[in-house]
Amino acid sequence: MQTWAKKNLLKTLTMAVLSERQGIHRLPQHKYVDAVRWLPPLSAFDRFAVLALFDSDSDSDSYSIEIHSLQQNPLSLHPLSSWTSPSRISSLKTSQFLQKTIIAASTFSGSLHFLFSNSSDASLESEVSVPEGALHSVPVSCVDLMDGGGECVTVGEDGKVNLVSVGNSTLNYRRLFDSSGLVSYTAAKWASPVEFATGGYGFGLQWWDQRKPGGPVSQFKGNRDQKLTSGIVHSIDIHPSRKHTCLAGGSLGTVFAWDLRWQQQPIILSGAGAGAGNTAVQSISESEVWEVQYDRCMKSNTSSTRILPAMICSEDGILAVIEKGEEPIELLAEPCAINSFDIDRNNPLDVICSLEWEAVAILTRQ
Amino acid sequence: MQGVGEMAKELLSLDNGTTCSSWNYSSSRLATASSDGTLSIFNFLHPSSSSSSPRSTFKSKVHDGNIAKVVWVPPEYGDAVACVTADGIVSLWEEVAEDSQPLQWKACKTFRSSSTKVLDVQFASFNTLKMVAAYSDGNVRVYELLDPLELKNWQLQAEFQNVVESVSAFGKALCLSASISWNPQKGVSQESSFIIGFNSNTSELNSSKVWEFDQAHQRWLPVAELELPEDKGDQVYAVAWAPNIGRPYETIAVATHKGLAIWNLGLNPDRNGRLPVERVALLSGHEGMVWQMEWDMSGMTLATTGHDGMVRLWQSNLNGVWHQQAAFEPTS
Amino acid sequence: MPGVAVASDTVTNGALVPFSDDGTRDSLPIYPLNHGLAAPISRLAISWSRGNSLRVSLFSAEPSSGSPGAAQSGVGGKVVEVKLGGGDPEITDAHLRRIAYGSVPPFALLQSRRSELSVLSKAPSMATTYHIDWWEHVLEYSKEITSLLGGPKSPPNAIIEDPGEIVKTGEDPTCLKAAWELMEIFYADKQSQAWLPERLVDWLADYDSLFSSTQETIHSKLVDFQKELVNIQVIEDDARYWEVMSSALSVGWLDIVVKMLRLHGSYQLDQLSNRELENGLVEALAVLISKMPRNRPESPAGKLGECFKSKPDFTKAWERWRSQITKLDCSPFWIQCDNHQTREGLKNMLQIMLGKTENLCMATCFWLELYVSHFLYIRPFTMGIESMYNLAQKCIQLKPSSRTHRLTGLMIGIIGENTEVVLAECSREFGPWMVAHATELLTAGSEQAEILLHDERFNLGGISIVELHRLAYAQVLSSHALTWQIAPIYLTSCMKQGMGLLENLLYRQSVQHNDMLLKNIEICRLYELDHISSNIMKVAGVYHWKHGRKGAGVFWLQQAQDATRLNRIAQQLFDSVGKSISDESFKQWEGVIELLGSESKLAGGLEFLHKYRDFKKSLQQLSSGKSTDAARQATGSLILLMKNPSTPQRFWLPLLFDSLKLLNWHDCPLLNVSETNLLLNKLQELSLARLRPHFIKPNLPPEAISSIRLALATNLGRAILDE
Repeated sequence: MQTWAKKNLLKTLTMAVLSERQGIHRLPQHKYVDAVRWLPPLSAFDRFAVLALFDSDSDSDSYSIEIHSLQQNPLSLHPLSSWTSPSRISSLKTSQFLQKTIIAASTFSGSLHFLFSNSSDASLESEVSVPEGALHSVPVSCVDLMDGGGECVTVGEDGKVNLVSVGNSTLNYRRLFDSSGLVSYTAAKWASPVEFATGGYGFGLQWWDQRKPGGPVSQFKGNRDQKLTSGIVHSIDIHPSRKHTCLAGGSLGTVFAWDLRWQQQPIILSGAGAGAGNTAVQSISESEVWEVQYDRCMKSNTSSTRILPAMICSEDGILAVIEKGEEPIELLAEPCAINSFDIDRNNPLDVICSLEWEAVAILTRQ
Repeated sequence: MQGVGEMAKELLSLDNGTTCSSWNYSSSRLATASSDGTLSIFNFLHPSSSSSSPRSTFKSKVHDGNIAKVVWVPPEYGDAVACVTADGIVSLWEEVAEDSQPLQWKACKTFRSSSTKVLDVQFASFNTLKMVAAYSDGNVRVYELLDPLELKNWQLQAEFQNVVESVSAFGKALCLSASISWNPQKGVSQESSFIIGFNSNTSELNSSKVWEFDQAHQRWLPVAELELPEDKGDQVYAVAWAPNIGRPYETIAVATHKGLAIWNLGLNPDRNGRLPVERVALLSGHEGMVWQMEWDMSGMTLATTGHDGMVRLWQSNLNGVWHQQAAFEPTS
Repeated sequence: MPGVAVASDTVTNGALVPFSDDGTRDSLPIYPLNHGLAAPISRLAISWSRGNSLRVSLFSAEPSSGSPGAAQSGVGGKVVEVKLGGGDPEITDAHLRRIAYGSVPPFALLQSRRSELSVLSKAPSMATTYHIDWWEHVLEYSKEITSLLGGPKSPPNAIIEDPGEIVKTGEDPTCLKAAWELMEIFYADKQSQAWLPERLVDWLADYDSLFSSTQETIHSKLVDFQKELVNIQVIEDDARYWEVMSSALSVGWLDIVVKMLRLHGSYQLDQLSNRELENGLVEALAVLISKMPRNRPESPAGKLGECFKSKPDFTKAWERWRSQITKLDCSPFWIQCDNHQTREGLKNMLQIMLGKTENLCMATCFWLELYVSHFLYIRPFTMGIESMYNLAQKCIQLKPSSRTHRLTGLMIGIIGENTEVVLAECSREFGPWMVAHATELLTAGSEQAEILLHDERFNLGGISIVELHRLAYAQVLSSHALTWQIAPIYLTSCMKQGMGLLENLLYRQSVQHNDMLLKNIEICRLYELDHISSNIMKVAGVYHWKHGRKGAGVFWLQQAQDATRLNRIAQQLFDSVGKSISDESFKQWEGVIELLGSESKLAGGLEFLHKYRDFKKSLQQLSSGKSTDAARQATGSLILLMKNPSTPQRFWLPLLFDSLKLLNWHDCPLLNVSETNLLLNKLQELSLARLRPHFIKPNLPPEAISSIRLALATNLGRAILDE
């Protein structure tokens, strides 16, 4: 038997024991879950999740975004409302703005959609969209909604960077930059109302400032000494309290932080350089890290030079919390990929993630 | 049972006059061509979802006459197709975005000859891209791509007739059709080889023969002939070389008017450099012309279509006996 | 499915069986391919997609000018996709996929245990423990699989509180689960071999309802009766009451029988006094039934009947129980019982309990029920599979049926100990998933089966039957977008041809989207298929490059270590850079140049671009200030570039022209004598090159060369003076 199977089986077996203890619920969806997010809380009592789904059995309505309400005892998800997408969802984000909850979703055909949900019962109220072709000529790689704002950044492999302003029912968009395909972007994240970071091939990161158009204001590139070249950035997170640090996750289990103040000295948290003479770095996964987020519930030493703990999910089925210089904490080890996850802002102990095998898992940490 | 009832699903409708179609390596793009010389390309938006219909991404008249066949170029050389017209002209078309212009299909090469017509072309990617073309005068030409990123620059590597012994030239050969199939093996170490058979008025040309490139002498050699003495000169309708995922022999299907023959081809040549061959089955089914034969990716199931308008599936059973497994009959 | 009308009987009779055993088949299954085209079909084209999915293009004949219908529609052909194999009439595709996902961990665990044990068993002392332990692993595997096949069991005799409800209609059981459990009983669960008949009784109790699709069953009779129950006034006067009860008794559904007996009118309080004797007889039977001895370790909690694990204890109890029945049968009270229906009904039930073949035959609906009733009342001591087979033959003769059920063939194959039949039935009726997973049960069942299934056969291209069925299942997995990723687990468990098929599968995955591409490459990494992943990356590189995403193209070609294409790309990049040498758009190239890295050998001449970028930057800095240091640095870069053999000749002139400011530096000469000579030589070489064909003229003012020459000459003079 191949190493993979063995490794993951052992993990699966030990996780079976763990899941009893940890409150892990796997909820089959009978559809492929492309992405999953918590909906920002509307009231203290109700909780909702947004799922981007792909139904391979259906001839029509194959692609949809559904809002589910979370119910306890037994823990389960109940679909509340659904919106049919013209194409498969490539990126999904949620935010609150003007007393409304906004869901931003980009598609493989290049269109961008904003769904507004009712603030009392989370039902979908309206939708505005940018048609395909207007923003990108290829799938939109990533979108990010500004926290508490109506600004959305979209990036694509075609090398275009767009800004879309969401009004009450209007949309304005403009192209910030076009690399004409010379550089492709695969991830984006707002840092402040005027700054954001993007990521791409070769573990490249770019820092942008809307006030300085014409190109990125700062760039990071991986170098050979750190073995940071042969991968792609899939996800970026920036902590509101440390806007100068960009946390990125990507190929080969790589997670690193780029501090704008120490431009070419990335802090590697996992993967890449790990193992080869760099024993200080633990590598919990060797495959694609699909998403990274700062773990909002981990209390850590608040020294500003220290990188806050981060949660990752990976192609080899790992959901874990990693921190520089600490043993990684494995929360899930699935026999299939974990494609996305989201930490509940109000209950940071709760994590929702999408599993490759047409399921969603919800964890409640203790 | 086994969900057969749910298994046929319409993917798309084709325009009037469509004569041929071909799917690319990943079955995510379809090229079709028609009797008025129009080439069309359809894409599945997301390659993993065949649940939505493919979209048309290109449609243009690329020839004056009827296009009889369209063939995809291996993906290592981009998204490109070869169109073979009924007049025997081959044109190569490629999808490219040049100098930040939008994506376009562009003509990159035309093969034409005043004296003879191309009947079939097939590509194979070894260290370089090779194209075998079969001509109506019974000649076979092998072209080689000089620059892996430019489908414009080809070089004629070899030209020969599909005969085992180069005898004195026969009278003017007239070939109606030809069928070529490369050995689908993708290993770099593999010598490139293909099988070709003709449907012509010259019996020596017809029988399907396996040609292998002799690296040492830089020439193509016939290493096997798939024909029994009693079937000498039978016209060949179609050939198909099965993928080999680990069998100790190769399997090739050859269709003639006598039926569908399954041949096993040994891997080790004899002293004369010939590969041992054995016909393991002769099957009847289509009762007439066989249009096309396709092996599945395991090389265990053969699908065929022919003049009776049916699609037939063939398999070998646990005892190695080949038989027809199922058939599909078009109904409106 | 819209537009596809496949007659259901065609479907059932003509299941597509991969790799059947019978070489000559009487009737070839022919399926309709519905296309809905008006004009006749003139030509077809076929193409295999991944796995078992076949795409058929149908082209209609050219509409003749006289027939406007076809021309108007504008539709001249259709493309349809046909998926062969897979699917189950009772189970949705989504549920089948859940089963497919869920079976991966138990399957992989069993394979890894097998390989561990095969290493251990090479030590001779371990050989025996291997066989003792092995079936336990298989049983554990089997239980895991069973749990995937359906929710918790809802046996028909589950009594819930509603007194009127006799049969519980819970979640529908599936044939797939029934078939799996049947094989588990016979092959994997060695511990309960001694209680095989009792396990069959339980099995039928769980799955009798499935047989209702082809014939009347006791379950269907019970369900029908329950529907009628509300309309019946005096239950014991209804013949069906007694009929249904004796049927349930015949197959040992004791709880149902006792519950039904207690619905008897004599139990009603207002009648109890004048029907005392009648009630006594009913209750006596109910007590006897609830005390029926069973040869089994235990019953599910709350079930009636008394269990005896050891055979002697059971025999003793059985004889005592039978004598009690005989005693009741001969009791004088029957004469005093004046309710005819009750008397006859009860008497019939006694005959069933006494094992009268005739009564059992009457009470049961089809052979399997009769078979089970034999185990309960006629031959409770039956042992040995051979006598079970003979008994089955006898029951089939007694209860012939016109239509055979999916499960019947499998059952006969199992008790007939015919591995080939079992495999063929599994394959035909339950499909590739079943065969691929059930071979584990079969091989655990007997050594003979293990030899048969693991024997490598030349006719199959040198693989075993086990491998063949795993390959067939992997093909089914490969044909679906959501399951192809688990095919590698099955393929890598194949000794001979699995990797070959895996390579073909991986080669046929699209590189268009990064997520899929990376999942693909990940599989290559896990199974060490480096040559496949480098080919995939090459295809991705060319795809992106040709589609205008130059950075992504270069990245993937670098990953693929494709020096040939990178060198060609270097040439093309020079062309683009050459065009934009003096303008601001050079900034756009920075990203690609970053990606290329500075010392990448693979990038061919592309390293030049990196140095060129550095030179451009230092020139730019120069334009803002007038520092001689900065100028010296830029000059250094220029000399490095001009010395470097990878700097294309066509860049020499533009480089020198850009550097005019350096050459004419007023403070001091920046180039020494030998450096100046080097540049002069290059200029000379260029003048010669101009005469050759294929020379690319740089887009520079005509006086460029002369002004460079002049500057160099001036510089040379100043440098000589300095030295």
